[in-house]
Amino acid sequence: MSDREGHSGAPSGDDDLSLPKATVAKMIAELLPNDIVCAKETRDLVIECCVEFIHLISSEANEICEQESKKTIAPEHIISALQRLGFESFMSDVEDVLKDHKQQQKDREKKVSKLEQSGMTEEELQAQQEALFAASRAKFQSTQQ
Amino acid sequence: MKNKNKQTKFPVARIKKIMQKDEEVGKVAQATPIVISKALELFLALIIEQASKVTTDRGSKKVEAYHLKHAVETTEMLDFLKEIVQAVPDPSAGGTIDLDAENEGGKKRRSRAKRANTGGGAAEGTTKKRRKKKGDVEMEQEQEQAGEGDAEVKSDPDPDQDGDAPMQDDDDDD
Repeated sequence: MSDREGHSGAPSGDDDLSLPKATVAKMIAELLPNDIVCAKETRDLVIECCVEFIHLISSEANEICEQESKKTIAPEHIISALQRLGFESFMSDVEDVLKDHKQQQKDREKKVSKLEQSGMTEEELQAQQEALFAASRAKFQSTQQ
Repeated sequence: MKNKNKQTKFPVARIKKIMQKDEEVGKVAQATPIVISKALELFLALIIEQASKVTTDRGSKKVEAYHLKHAVETTEMLDFLKEIVQAVPDPSAGGTIDLDAENEGGKKRRSRAKRANTGGGAAEGTTKKRRKKKGDVEMEQEQEQAGEGDAEVKSDPDPDQDGDAPMQDDDDDD
């Protein structure tokens, strides 16, 4: 435990690949009503089921991806996979998450391009900002007198 | 009331690693594990909801493995999990826990509860003639006996395990 620095639950070998117990335990506790607890054995079994779910969806999505002659599994493939496998009820929430993610990406790009569009370097922008401050300070002082 | 203040999320990088364990899976877009994470949340909610229903139906306060098993068996969406929960014994069979989950995620070995421990032949009632004894002889050297009628045996995907070697406990070979 302490012999591995920054042990964040990352497994040492790929074959032990699973989901972090503590995270899942917390999520389960959040889902259960206050008076019900989950047995340890059950929790471990649930983790197995989750991993299996990932494999199931990934495999189906991979097939869909290949059918579209694409090389990279896209979120849209996941959504189609969910539908094909009988998880239609998941689709709507998942699509929302995708929309949010795309929006966040857009916002990030906007921020960067605004800086580029001004045509000035950061230093020039900073100088401009200080000049504006000085100007308004002067204005303010003159109105005080 | 479910989903009270859910802040905890699944680790996206870990999801990607799990996906890529499948050799067929090649490149994965950055947003894809994020989307799977959400699907996984919903899946977890489903499975816990179904299992806890069984728990309360049986008047218990603790969600046991066989509650989960029953939920899997009665929920169509969870059909793909049948193999995983198969090893879980039903309470009527004496309740001996055959903790395959401890061994390599339960998929590799199917073993029966040791007779000595059960005291009630629990294994008989529940197992579908599992071949191996946990921790006994390493089965790699055994040969696969052809023509074995037990369908369960064949469905085990692990190539290491073979055989329905003649064992004291097993009577399916004779």
